[in-house]
Amino acid sequence: MSTSLSEPRARPVLARAMRLRGASAGIWPALSILGGLLLWQLVSLGFSDFILPPPTAVLQRLGDPAYLAELGAALALSLGTMVAGFAVAFAVAVPLGTVMGRSPRLAAAVEPVLTAFYAIPPVALVPFVVIWFGLFVEGRIALIFLMCFPDILVVTLAGARDISPRLIAVGRSFGASPVQMLRRVLLPASLPFLFAALRVGLARAITGMITAELFLAAAALGGMMKTSAEAFDNAGVFVIVVLVCLLGLAVQSGVRRLERRMLHWHMEDNR
Amino acid sequence: MRRDMLPWNLLGIVVTLGAWEIGGRMLGDGLLAPPSSVLAAFPALLRDGMAGTLGTAMLQMLVGYACALLVGVPLGVLMGRSQMADRLLHPWLSMLLVTSTAALVPLFILIFGTGMAFCGALVFMASAFYIMLTAYQGARGVDRRLMAVARSFGATRMQAFRMVLLPGLFPYLVTGARVGLVHAIRAMVMAQMFVMVGFGGLIAQSGFDPSTAGLLGLLVTIMLASLVLNRALDAAGHWLAPWYRASKAGH
Repeated sequence: MSTSLSEPRARPVLARAMRLRGASAGIWPALSILGGLLLWQLVSLGFSDFILPPPTAVLQRLGDPAYLAELGAALALSLGTMVAGFAVAFAVAVPLGTVMGRSPRLAAAVEPVLTAFYAIPPVALVPFVVIWFGLFVEGRIALIFLMCFPDILVVTLAGARDISPRLIAVGRSFGASPVQMLRRVLLPASLPFLFAALRVGLARAITGMITAELFLAAAALGGMMKTSAEAFDNAGVFVIVVLVCLLGLAVQSGVRRLERRMLHWHMEDNR
Repeated sequence: MRRDMLPWNLLGIVVTLGAWEIGGRMLGDGLLAPPSSVLAAFPALLRDGMAGTLGTAMLQMLVGYACALLVGVPLGVLMGRSQMADRLLHPWLSMLLVTSTAALVPLFILIFGTGMAFCGALVFMASAFYIMLTAYQGARGVDRRLMAVARSFGATRMQAFRMVLLPGLFPYLVTGARVGLVHAIRAMVMAQMFVMVGFGGLIAQSGFDPSTAGLLGLLVTIMLASLVLNRALDAAGHWLAPWYRASKAGH
């Protein structure tokens, strides 16, 4: 009797279980992170808080409203600089990369120079940035620019080079005007690599931001980090490291989500 | 780079050097030393022991980089071949990939001090996860049908690994090693600049010189060293596996 009663209900339960099975990939990563935190907590018992503070000590830090306010202000300042540097780099590198990608000769002329510049570690440019732009906001924006510019340029160049000539030919033969060509053919065809440039560039910009704040005059998040480090307050340093890491993850997944919404027609598995 | 584009490559280099020379002469050594002044600064740099510090820095870098290869490649392959490993390790990989090396500098100084361990650890953290990511992508991309063919011809797991997986993986491993190397060199210079020792220390100090010729000389040197190492790695890839083409696995 009970079986007959539960029969109709069994199906949704089963379906839910099946769905859970599909989603179990979502459980394991969370478990892995939890396990890692637990391990960190256990390992940190064997060290003094100076060297390796437990995750609870790091979390505790976030319970202090005064500290939180300071952190928020520093984060806002950091983000403002980061966005400024990135925006300038994006605005310069994308048109440049597109033009270079459409002309093989120009690309060939620029490529060796770009490769050479790329081989210079970006931090090594710090003394130069200081000479030209000083130690403060201008210097930070300049370093962020220098760090994401080559990456955005390379991605845009490669993308513009790979726009299928057939797409352009189709547009031409249907009598598209130059404006229509840009709006209907070239722009949609460039969106995938523009998003790639956005993703790569933002990742570099965040690195540039924290590099600038540590290697130029200490400021914002990097400044807080330096102050904590000088006080041997490792938990404080950890907070910033984790924050920067989460910021990177959030930006990446944000761009990816936007990309999925705008480029649903461009199916591509690139995780 | 295609052979028929060589004149354009050369033209780009010549135009850049020319613009640098003219711009440098107009701005003066204090703002931008022209290539001629940079060239003239090299004897002084060598006298100050630049070659030795560069060699030491590169050796230290290679230690951290070798550790990164030893850890990154097996973990990446494991992640690519086992779904469970993928689920467990992927969140850590994505997290550590976006962690800026610079953000780790103050932390690592507190943990490791300012010596070789600090530099090595920073180099490791900067390169290991890029190496792991490419190894993962390579191991995931190996054609399942090829593995099935190997199995049905009675290959053992080891044989399948050696004869199918490894050759398919190789282009990715070389690409990963090259990307990792770029990051390893960046991290090395960063570590040394922050604590003002070795080659990075020379760069940091040369920022205080009245002329930028020395600074630019050092930048050109590290650039050349980086290009040479990258080329050497590429050549080693070709030599070890002639079917390898760097472009195959992308950059």
